[in-house]
Amino acid sequence: MTAADPLFSGSGLTLAVFLIVLIKVVVAFAVLMGAVTMMIWFERKAISDMQSRIGPNRVGPWGLLQTLADGIKLFFKEDLIPAESDRFVFKLAPYLVVVPAFLIFAVIPVGGMVTIAHHTFQLQVADPPMGILLVLACSGIAVYGVMLAGWASGSKYPLMSSVRASAQMVSYEAALGMNVVTVLLLCNSLSTRDIVNAQGGAFWHWNLIRTGIVPFVLFLIAATAELNRPPFDVVEADSELVGGFNTEYSSIRFALFYLAEFMNTITMSAVMVTLFFGGPAGPIPNIPHLRWVFPILWFTAKVVAFCFMYIWFRAALPRMRYDQLMDLGWKKLIPLSLAWMLLVAAAIISWRWALVALAAVVLGWSGLTWAFELGAERELADDAVLPTIGQRPLPGWELRHITDGDEDWEMDESDEDADSDEEVEA
Amino acid sequence: MTSLLATVAIPDLLVFLLGALLCLVGAVSILTVKNPVHAALSLVMTLFGIAVLFIELQADFLAAVQIIVYAGAIVVLFLFVIMFLGVDREEDLAVEPIVGQRPLAAVLITALMASIVALGLVGHFEVGPATQTGMLHGGAGNVADLGRSVFTTYLFAFEATAGLLIIAVVGAVVLARRNNPDDHVAESQVEELA
Amino acid sequence: MNAYLPVFILMIVGILFAGLSFVASGLLAPRKKPTAAKLAPYECGIVPEREPPQRFPVRFYLVAMIFIVFDIEIVFMYPFAVVFRQLALFGFLEVAAFSVVLFAALLYLVSNGALSWGPAVILTRGMPSRTSESTITRISATKSTDGQAA
Repeated sequence: MTAADPLFSGSGLTLAVFLIVLIKVVVAFAVLMGAVTMMIWFERKAISDMQSRIGPNRVGPWGLLQTLADGIKLFFKEDLIPAESDRFVFKLAPYLVVVPAFLIFAVIPVGGMVTIAHHTFQLQVADPPMGILLVLACSGIAVYGVMLAGWASGSKYPLMSSVRASAQMVSYEAALGMNVVTVLLLCNSLSTRDIVNAQGGAFWHWNLIRTGIVPFVLFLIAATAELNRPPFDVVEADSELVGGFNTEYSSIRFALFYLAEFMNTITMSAVMVTLFFGGPAGPIPNIPHLRWVFPILWFTAKVVAFCFMYIWFRAALPRMRYDQLMDLGWKKLIPLSLAWMLLVAAAIISWRWALVALAAVVLGWSGLTWAFELGAERELADDAVLPTIGQRPLPGWELRHITDGDEDWEMDESDEDADSDEEVEA
Repeated sequence: MTSLLATVAIPDLLVFLLGALLCLVGAVSILTVKNPVHAALSLVMTLFGIAVLFIELQADFLAAVQIIVYAGAIVVLFLFVIMFLGVDREEDLAVEPIVGQRPLAAVLITALMASIVALGLVGHFEVGPATQTGMLHGGAGNVADLGRSVFTTYLFAFEATAGLLIIAVVGAVVLARRNNPDDHVAESQVEELA
Repeated sequence: MNAYLPVFILMIVGILFAGLSFVASGLLAPRKKPTAAKLAPYECGIVPEREPPQRFPVRFYLVAMIFIVFDIEIVFMYPFAVVFRQLALFGFLEVAAFSVVLFAALLYLVSNGALSWGPAVILTRGMPSRTSESTITRISATKSTDGQAA
């Protein structure tokens, strides 16, 4: 519960303060754009290494400028708006994706305090009192971008993709929020700066260790799903949905979706570093005038490690099916996050209460297992909540009709006991 | 009126005007646009405006909750319902679902506005400096204050919310459940194929 | 409120960036030459035959509804986490009671199969297991019965 950015604690909003704010914003913007181009290059290069390919190597040294070349190329492409689309929403959707992607980075503490021209300020674009909630709010708004982009395209595969994506993002947001709560139990503040300060010192002060690693793993899974990155990228499952919700987009509008996707990967890595890995915390050698550089280096190193992990995920893991994805989110991540949150809360009070909470969690888990079994049976019952997707007759019937040849299949429901079935059995 | 304005700093006034503008433009366009999806987006705009107003009042937490819950969850539900019902075509504004709803609305709004204006003319408001009528704790202390009152003074209301939420869950499942097993065509065919 | 000034400016910068890229693309890109084929929905070259679905499974509605419930729960948890040290045991018990009620909601949902998405169970029961062997057997069986009938 410390004070906010000391930059604003002085005599109100003077011109100098405003200029510093402006410079911070512009620097953050430039750094993000640069980081995104590097991230895209890094991803392509690392994946091609993992797949024994060469990857981009023509434009600039080691192909470093490939992303820039691609971006410039996209400016020169014809910008199509499909005939079936809802023009207003079609044009609005890229904004709704890109702007939240920028905003999340605003609350990430990148380094420590810096004093320039008698103005001390944090190396962080903004430190609002509800900083970490801004991250969740932005990821909530980003759902709209994805949802509306697909809907406005007026094309069926983008529409399916966007409905899938929004249900997925919404589901995992719950798990994401629950794990944030676990961290907040230890830090007792919503400000990202306070969260980072509470983890200062050696690595065993990091929330990763103090919350017992499990929330980090759960948060990582939820964040990956929130980003629609492999192995949770059913949104752009090429074999089912053409190219995902942005299929109908071309030219620079497509580029913005791409940009936002990678920017979100970077900022979500930064959020994880902030929440669980102490942000810019790390050993600082006593070199005069350069001490402020080291937190930034530590922060960058941690974020790059996470970015590499996401790339590794993409190269190593096969895509999950949509039902597996939703099951994982609702039936495993959410109850586990809730259970671990209660365990941590109890453990902070005393170890006796931790034992009580543990017993309650075990009890709850067995209840859930029982509910799973019950649910699996109810799913098949006549009064099931919903008809399951696999029960639709068409694929089975038509497939059999095509592969098994003429079997006198009666397609109307009145005559279901077609003789042919018995014939086959015989 | 000048005394009221004098107590408000210029940045505050600008933020208030921005928030109010967002709210009003959103609210009016909810009523006037024809496409339900556009109307839902206008609703998001209004909610965003309210979040800005909350920030202006230094209620940071409520601003975040406004975006997370209302814009991030409830309007998403609205959009799902719009997509789920397939009403994403243009609506004919000439049709009145309830007979005489428009004159009734006009009368009610006139009465409401008249009472607000009357209250403003008759009533007497104390407008003190911001330090007297202002916040208990600015910004960061807010959430803690809120937490303390929710988890002590308004404990019962908090626990009752849990009951309300579980009713919502049961209601959603009951609504979504198929009531008539016979209208499910595929079942028998699937049985037969097995 | 000053703390939000940078956020606001960053938002403006983001909007400007997106807007200016559209303007730049409009200036740099070739003149639009739309054809019916270009503007049609893209389905990998196959001419679209059906309209996009107008309605979606009720399941998506359920997910959004249930998300609201859990979202509201989590929103209550944030202030709880902030004042947790002061409330201590009392606060923990309150939140535990609250969580138990919501956990009951989750149990209800799961035991009703309302959160089940999978066709897997039905498919193994409902659809004939199709291997190349079974298809050959079935075809030959059909032929032999045809032969007997003839």
